[in-house]
Parts: sequence; C-alpha cells; structure tokens
Amino acid sequence: MSAINQTATDIGPQTARSHQGNITIQDLSIVFGSGRSSFVAIENISLDITSGEFICIIGPSGCGKSTVLNAIAGFTHPATGQVLVDGQPVQKPGGDRGMVFQQPSLFPWKTVLSNVAHGPLMAGRSKQAALAIARDFLQIVGLANFENNYPMTLSGGMQQRVAIARALANYPRVLLMDEPFGALDAQTRFMMQENLLRLWEEFRITVIFVTHDIDEALLLGDRVIVMSAGPGQVIEDIRVDFERPRDADLLMDTRFLILKKKCFSLIKKESLLAFEQQKKSSIQKAGKHN
Amino acid sequence: MLEKSTIFDRLTLFLSIPIFLVIWEAISRAEIVNPVLFPPPSLVAVALYKWAVDGSLFLDLWMSLSRVIVGFVSGALAGVVIGILTGRYRLFSNLLTPLFQLLRPIPPIAFVPIVILWFGLSELGKWFLVFWGVFFTVWIAAHLGVQKVDETLIRAAQCLGTPDKKMLREVLFPASLPYIFVGLRTAVSISFYTLVAAELAGTFSGIAYRIDIAQQNLQVGQTIGGLVILGIVSAVADRGFGALSKRLVWWG
Repeated sequence: MSAINQTATDIGPQTARSHQGNITIQDLSIVFGSGRSSFVAIENISLDITSGEFICIIGPSGCGKSTVLNAIAGFTHPATGQVLVDGQPVQKPGGDRGMVFQQPSLFPWKTVLSNVAHGPLMAGRSKQAALAIARDFLQIVGLANFENNYPMTLSGGMQQRVAIARALANYPRVLLMDEPFGALDAQTRFMMQENLLRLWEEFRITVIFVTHDIDEALLLGDRVIVMSAGPGQVIEDIRVDFERPRDADLLMDTRFLILKKKCFSLIKKESLLAFEQQKKSSIQKAGKHN
Repeated sequence: MLEKSTIFDRLTLFLSIPIFLVIWEAISRAEIVNPVLFPPPSLVAVALYKWAVDGSLFLDLWMSLSRVIVGFVSGALAGVVIGILTGRYRLFSNLLTPLFQLLRPIPPIAFVPIVILWFGLSELGKWFLVFWGVFFTVWIAAHLGVQKVDETLIRAAQCLGTPDKKMLREVLFPASLPYIFVGLRTAVSISFYTLVAAELAGTFSGIAYRIDIAQQNLQVGQTIGGLVILGIVSAVADRGFGALSKRLVWWG
C-alpha cells in the first residue's frame, strides 16, 4: 500500500507538466536521399496539437506516418518547415519526448527495473530516486512483481508495457507511439488499448499514436489525422468526440461505424492512388531500361 | 536429433574415450602397427608420469599457458577497443580497416621467421605471435558487432535522454557483447594454434617445444603425451570460456 501512496507523492508534482506538450508542426516537408534518387516522404504538413490531446495518425502504408513521429522525436530533419514542442524547435532526440516502438526495444542485458530506471538515471537522478520512480511506474503498468525479470522472460505484451513504463518514467512532454501494438495478438492488443486509455486518463499527457488500424485510432483518439500517400499529406483531421471513458462497446456504436466508414473510404481511395502511382513509376522505370 | 538422455546414453557417453583407448592398446600390443612409432596408451601414460615426476611438465605447462594468457589478454583488449572504434567512427574505419583487412588473412604462422629476426628467441616474440592471431579475430568480431547493434535500441536510448557520450558504455558496448564473445571464443582456439607455431620456432620450454624435442629423441610416448596435454588444455579452455560467456552474456 505504501507504494501506492508513494506513487501519488512522487508523480503528483510532476503532473504540473500537464500544461506542457503543445506541439506545432508548420509546413513540414521531409526528403530522404539527395539528387535523382531523392524521395519526398511528407510534404507541407501543418498540425496543432494541444497539451493532453490524444492524436492518432492513420493512412495507407508508406504514407509517412512514422516519418512525422520521427521528426517530432528528432531522428529526421525537416527539408522545410519546423516542429515546435512547447515553442522550442526540435533539434535532436531527447528525454522530453518519450517513444514506444513497434518492437519493445528493451535493453536485454538489464532487468525490467533497470530498464525503466534508465531514463531517470540519464536525467541525473540518484540511483535510489531512479529506482523508486521505476518501481512506481512498474506498479502502474501492473508489472511490479516482475521487476527482477529479464525482458526475454516476458511475453510480447508485457514487454511492451515495460516499454511504456520506461517512456513514462522520464515524465515526457509527449508520448510518441509508433504502431506499438501492431505485433501483438488481437486479445493482447485489446487489453493494451484499454490499459493505455486508463494510463492516459490518469496522466493526461499528449499522445501521438501511429497505427494502420482504424478501429484502434477511433477507439483511442481525440482526433484522427488521415494521411495520403506519396508524398504524405494531411487529407482529413477528424474530431472524435465519443464520451470517455471508452470501452469495447463503442466498436458497435452507430456513430463509431459512420466515422469508421468515412476513414475506410478515405484510406481506400488513397491506397488505390498510391498503388496506381507505384505501378506508373515502375512502368516508367521499365521503359527506361528498354 | 538427440532427445532425452537415457541411462544408455550416459553409459555410451562415458565409454567413448575408454573404448578408444582399449582398441588403441590392443592394436599396438598386437603389433599390427609398429609399437615404437605408435606406442600403446599405457606407455604414453608412463611417459607422462615421468614427465610430471621430474617437474618439467609443470614448468612446460606454465610457460605455454603464460604465453597464451599474455597474448590472448593483450590481443583481446586491443581487438575489442580498436574494433569498437573502427566499427563506430568513420575516421578510424577509413584509416585502419583497409590495412587490417590486408593483414588479417595472412596466417599468423607465416610471421614466425620475421618474429625470430625481430625478437630472437625471447618471450616477447611468443607473446607477439599469439597476440597477432587473437587480435584480428577479436577485432573483426567487435567491428561487425558494434555495427550490427539494432538501430531501434539506439533510438530508444536517445528518447530516454541518453547523451551521445554515454551511448557507447550504456548501449553500444553491452549490445555488441554477444558478437564480441563469439570472436573471443574463436580466439581461444587460435591462441593455441599460434602458441604451437611460436614454440616450434625456437624456445627452451613449453608443451609444443617438448613435443618437438621428444620427437627428435624418438621418445614417441612423450610426443604423444604432449599432444594429449595440448588437447586437454585447449578443450578445457574452450569449454571453460564457453561456460563463462554463457554466464556473462546470457541474453546473446
């Protein structure tokens, strides 16, 4: 029980960050490669994300969903435009923007506890404080009993919960999630979605969640951003105002199905367009070879 | 392949070497082969006993092991450090990788003549040869290992606020350890190969030296005894290192 009280005291003051995590993306374009082999991944994307919003990004594969996340994380640099996090332009990756990847990407040589304590340690906290924070977050994701396990002894879903705890332990301004549940089986994915919603309702941290699953996007998000392919652009910014807390029943709701149909037809159109483009460019290439 | 081990399995496993020794003894005693050139294991054991009793076996063993240890430890340290540098930093890679890729395929044994010119019959020459054999094996393992570190692991560490200057210690080094240990284990065997070359080239003690001297005196029992010792020592070193690496890099 003391652990729970401690959770409240340790995490309480930090939620003062709740007014942080405003993200502004202005005319962002990202180009990979250079010269003739260059490739425009995303073009002129502008988005305003308010502190505490849950944003889902969907779109056909190859539309640059992940590139947007990588630009916010600081892994890729804009060709034009900029990304501002609380007014500051993003220069390079940092602990203030937590990220959860499709693969859990835990450090296999560290215990679950040390994995979660890594961020606080890097932020300069004492070992004792870092471990205390790590224990709190493991408790929150329901893995307190596994702190001494090594990652490879856990299931995929449990590993991903550790990865979420590890990202949150840094008290980031924003949590970036790149198809985090894409590799999990349907039951586990469903449980993870519900857990994530509960966590988010507790912390009210800004979340940007990339997925190719329309159900997932509509179940989780306050807004669903639909992107087009080649080059990636925002074609629709859908407000999803179903009341919270949400659960699985929502999937059968008529309003849900209407939005789902809308998203589906947008993505279908874009996927077909992208397919045509790929076909055309491969025919052009073949023509050049002849 | 092999499934659960039964009593029969354990018995046959246990009998492997004794059966071999009995057949060898019988063939030699029956003089199917020349027993002078192919003495039975009982005579090899007597030769080993004599070698041990006059104390020179332990001196020889110690000299050989010290050469392996000095050469292995220095070669492994240099290989790991330089391998991480060339694997991670373009400057080091540009300057060193072409040179190392040229030197690496030359069998270390081919350096024996020049090593004798450089170092005479001193211990330094033996250390150098073992070092040379170990270094390139460990270097290439560390070089490739550090390049094979999963990019997402590095990104995850960056998102947790790991500064660039701590990345090597916190992520790159531990993540490449499984590769490095494969290289180190190969280098254990290589250090024994080069040891033999080094001792045959001229020295005054050591297991391989004793094999050579015994051969010249037609003490075939001791010659074979020396091979047995080399076999046991390098097998123990290899198995020991394998067990050690399983404990140290259990996740690999």
